[in-house]
Amino acid sequence: MGTPMPTPDKIDFSKLPIYKPEVECASRERIRAIQLAKLIQQVEYTYARVPWYREKMDAMGVSPSDIKTLDDVRLLPFTDKAALRETFPFGMFATSLDEIVELHSSSGTTGKPIVVGYTKDDMDVWSECIARLAQMAGVTASDRVQMAFGYGMFTGGFGLHYGIQRIGGTMIPAGAGNTERHIQMIEDYGTTVLIATPSYAMHICEVGERVGFDWASSTLQVGLFGGEPCPPGLKAEIESRMHITCTDNYGLTEVMGPGVSGECLAHRDQQHIAEDHFLWEVVDPDTGEPVPDGEMGELVLTPLDKKGIPVLRYRTHDLTRVVTDKCACGRTMARMQKVRSRCDDMLIIRGTNVFPSQVEDVISDIELLAPHYHIVVDNETGLDRMTVEVEIKPEAFSDSYEEMKGFSNEVRDKLRSVLLVTPVVKLVEPGGLTRTMGKAKHVDDLRK
Amino acid sequence: MSITQISVFVESKPGHMGRVLGAFADNAINVHGFSASDTGEYGIVRFVVDDTQRAEEVLKGMGAAVRKAKVLCVKLDDSVGQLQKAMEALAGAQLNISYCYSLASTYIAISVKDIPAAEEALRAAGMAVVDDDDLAGFMVGETM
Repeated sequence: MGTPMPTPDKIDFSKLPIYKPEVECASRERIRAIQLAKLIQQVEYTYARVPWYREKMDAMGVSPSDIKTLDDVRLLPFTDKAALRETFPFGMFATSLDEIVELHSSSGTTGKPIVVGYTKDDMDVWSECIARLAQMAGVTASDRVQMAFGYGMFTGGFGLHYGIQRIGGTMIPAGAGNTERHIQMIEDYGTTVLIATPSYAMHICEVGERVGFDWASSTLQVGLFGGEPCPPGLKAEIESRMHITCTDNYGLTEVMGPGVSGECLAHRDQQHIAEDHFLWEVVDPDTGEPVPDGEMGELVLTPLDKKGIPVLRYRTHDLTRVVTDKCACGRTMARMQKVRSRCDDMLIIRGTNVFPSQVEDVISDIELLAPHYHIVVDNETGLDRMTVEVEIKPEAFSDSYEEMKGFSNEVRDKLRSVLLVTPVVKLVEPGGLTRTMGKAKHVDDLRK
Repeated sequence: MSITQISVFVESKPGHMGRVLGAFADNAINVHGFSASDTGEYGIVRFVVDDTQRAEEVLKGMGAAVRKAKVLCVKLDDSVGQLQKAMEALAGAQLNISYCYSLASTYIAISVKDIPAAEEALRAAGMAVVDDDDLAGFMVGETM
């Protein structure tokens, strides 16, 4: 990166690299033409090689030759995680294992793990998608990039690793854990970019502050986050305390891994989808029918050139909206609003729908709370009870029970006004809520 | 005249109070008095120690939520009726006690909103009110 990263409000996009401008900045017509050509080929490939899809399509009376326009994607069957579980391990593979160069599996936060395989070409697409999002954050060949994801079966570690090498950056494969050593390595090697989950980056920040490490004068300039949704409040906190610029990307193992979309610095709440590799749809989660343009719905993805495991119309369960106007960064690739909620993480508490992201938003607006929370739902007393554990900052502490009670009531009232459910608020000491190196687990539903 | 106490936010979970006391022990901080109570979820634990500033540094270094506060410190004679005498002196001056606790020996720490008024009421009743320096001098060798 060489020169310090400008603050996002003063950024000169003409000076930031774009990895593949001929595609990333192509006209919408050109992007749609690329997508259609690839979709036709991909459906033929999938039908010919994966019995699971052939049987589904035959039963629906659909043949690959029916795909003539992009809208015809709606004729195809949906795929969900269950299909990948039922056919575990290799039932959905379209190639023999001889052509597969790498296996990964999902982190299994919502059930049994699934396994995916990548051909050499798949790896190539994957690294390119990562290279694109790294460059959106300004990362170049002169960066030293420290990995704080775990390597292993999780797609985040190796996925980002190969992508950074694609642009010629220096990978420092530290891996997850040993926070003091991470800080030492940043100092010793002059690390400029940190790859981490946002909650682990926050932990590194706090440990650094505790041991007296001066983030303001450190070499670190960029954080590339992933592995879990990044709440805006947490990101802003990390940016100001670590003196870095952070972006986060979106992806899921079932369709590739990280890199499906990435944040440029022009719209901090949106991410550019790699549309030449992924066809997106936004559907009503209940009916599966498309929602009107730009409206909120469930993201459905069809990878357009995946050879190891082709997947048609994957139901992500992630809620988003997509816009296609040209971005200030110069890219024309559609932008999806960052995923804050999944259709399946909605909690129904005494008949009211509650999303953990709503809790997140309320918490991050309260100055005296750290941007961490944990929700426990139980029905021990017969009625649903929602307890929100929040972590006080040292400044929030007063030497009076009355004032502390007043503070926790204030938090409860703010939550109630947004959630329309009255939670029990439990104050936790600074640092008392778990920071994770993988996905943060925000909800425990103990209802019987 | 007052002494300084240091309060810590501690979750009501096994080992949390021990962590604070361990840090005091590791840093040779002597506890002269303390009071602990809780709400079922968390507690405010208040300490009078021999080196408040050091104690504050140590706790902040651990990332703990810490507050210093002024409280009144009264020396009682070790005889019948002394505690009652102190309370009545304050009641007589219409001063409400937020909380109070005893230190090692016969000292009690009293939290009131109006420290000078409370001090005057106690002195008028013939009772000894001490400050941090006095206490440090008296408390040599007195440990909870």
